[in-house]
Amino acid sequence: MGNFVLRQFNLLVLTLFVLSLFSFSLAYLFPGDPLTNLTGIAGSEQADYQLLNDAFHMQGNVLQQYFYYLGALFKGDWGISFSSGLPLTNEISRTLAASIELSTYAFIFSFSLGIPLGFIAGLRHYKITDNVLLSVSVIGYSIPVFWLALIVILLFSLQLGWFPLSGRISLLFDVPLKTGFILFDILLSDLPDKQEAFYDALRHLILPTLSIAIVTTAIVLRITRRSVIETMNSEFIQAAYARGLTSRQVLQHHGIANALIPILPVLTMQFTTLLTNAMIVEIIFSWPGIGNWLIQAIYQRDYPAIRAGMLAVSSLVVILNMSINIAIRLIDPTRGRLEHATI
Amino acid sequence: MPQFNLYQEEFPPSPLQVTWQEFKLNHIAVIGLYCLIFFVVLAVLGPFLAPFDPLQQHIDSLLIPPSWEPSGGIVHLFGTDGLGRDILSRVIYGCRMTFGISILLVLLALLIGVALGAVAGMSRGLRSSFVNHLLDSLMAIPTLLIAIIIIAILGTGLVNSMWAITLALVPKFIHQTRDFVRNEVRKEYVMAAKLDGASKRQLFFNSILPNMGEMLVVQGTFALSIAILDISALGFLNLGAQAPTPELGAMLYKGIEVAYIAPWNIALPGAAIFLMIVSINLVGDGLRSALRSRLLHS
Repeated sequence: MGNFVLRQFNLLVLTLFVLSLFSFSLAYLFPGDPLTNLTGIAGSEQADYQLLNDAFHMQGNVLQQYFYYLGALFKGDWGISFSSGLPLTNEISRTLAASIELSTYAFIFSFSLGIPLGFIAGLRHYKITDNVLLSVSVIGYSIPVFWLALIVILLFSLQLGWFPLSGRISLLFDVPLKTGFILFDILLSDLPDKQEAFYDALRHLILPTLSIAIVTTAIVLRITRRSVIETMNSEFIQAAYARGLTSRQVLQHHGIANALIPILPVLTMQFTTLLTNAMIVEIIFSWPGIGNWLIQAIYQRDYPAIRAGMLAVSSLVVILNMSINIAIRLIDPTRGRLEHATI
Repeated sequence: MPQFNLYQEEFPPSPLQVTWQEFKLNHIAVIGLYCLIFFVVLAVLGPFLAPFDPLQQHIDSLLIPPSWEPSGGIVHLFGTDGLGRDILSRVIYGCRMTFGISILLVLLALLIGVALGAVAGMSRGLRSSFVNHLLDSLMAIPTLLIAIIIIAILGTGLVNSMWAITLALVPKFIHQTRDFVRNEVRKEYVMAAKLDGASKRQLFFNSILPNMGEMLVVQGTFALSIAILDISALGFLNLGAQAPTPELGAMLYKGIEVAYIAPWNIALPGAAIFLMIVSINLVGDGLRSALRSRLLHS
């Protein structure tokens, strides 16, 4: 076990090293002068340029520059955005929290809906219930998420007027930023109309969460269904039936755990897909998350922001995956190499 | 008396025929296949089928609803957009563009991925394990995110987004090929060929590659649906195909401007993407379960 954790940790460090190397080289890969890309100051005759040239260790060789960059990263100095003029560390932590909040709710939703439905479909497989659920899930995971979000807005916001169109909370409420998660911030704050603010935030959350969660729910359903079918056909289940257990007992004591444990890593892997979908949906709902922010940065050619945002998101994804691997190994030490998703 | 049969010959169906027989039993998958064939025909014959030029602007007929609406006309079957362009023609050209480009990208990614994956799968030792592990952990990053980063470097545009998606698809193929090759190398028929003195190159091309076809077709269909989703997503984010190009994602993006008064501008291109992906997924699922039940029954 210790050996495994150590190896995973090694791999994590290695991957993060590659990512940092890549994000460092982005300054050179973007069109134009590297220092101009990093600071936005053009023209080498300006005094500022010389100053910054020293500050970024540009006159040194590439290795020195890289170590300076790495040091700055660890110090929490990720650079300054062109468009807002604010330190990127603050901006990224604010937007990333908003994205993680949205994805987490969607993830919880799709798990709590997808797994039970997957069990129902798997237990009644090749019957009408199963066929209906399976067809719905094919539709569910084929819908382009941006189209779904637009249709949902057209239907529920514009036609029916049930939910707000965009944003995170009505502008009437001024919630102080503490954790970055809006629902917790509201609960922690001392606003006079806390309850209204909470409901308002919830109403803003429903549409984006739904439009992301539908795709993931369908995928979770299909993976669970396949695993349940395979487990329920295996010999130890037959043996349990032969001993005279009722089907309820068989499912409770033998079915659920054995069907779920092997697919746990594949299911948790879906979080990264969810995060990407969240990044697209954020733009449609004007959710102040990392996707919205990163795309704006690309439109505005805000190179420091692209560089830092890319590093933040990809590191987050890689770290998440590694921790999932280790957690799965703790729960189920028998499993060897990680399998990759099949729907 | 019927024809005299000296040798009681049986003709067992080839694996491909068995797969097709299993596939035919799944009616939904067959419908998906017909739908896919329809899109292929649309992509090939698009210019002959489209009633108008996709860029031609009919200034006297802006935002005409589709013909099934009370105020719609028969000239423009799917209506027109804010600039008076015929949506049916644009959707046909859009399918041609999105679908055709995606097939091209998947084939390219498949070629690169299989080549690299074969090298990774056949080689042993520290270097290969190092590269493999790194690849695995980098594969956790979703394709669209990789594509967005590559676009940030290359700049926006259709061709750049094509490169980005190709590069983003390659790791999955490398991974699949590598795992497959690893598993096959241990099997006895490969060992037999090895004992006959086959070189690594011959082992791969003569023994392993012929067995890989089915795996590649199944993986290819899934990669195709990812490619279509990604290329239209990039078009939608205005990072891929730019405005006048009839690409389905870019059409959706332009449709938002008139979404409230002319919802068919986003409903129809989106429905085309959706139908394409559904049919591809149905065929992919059908193929996979056909292969699975072929192995179970034989």
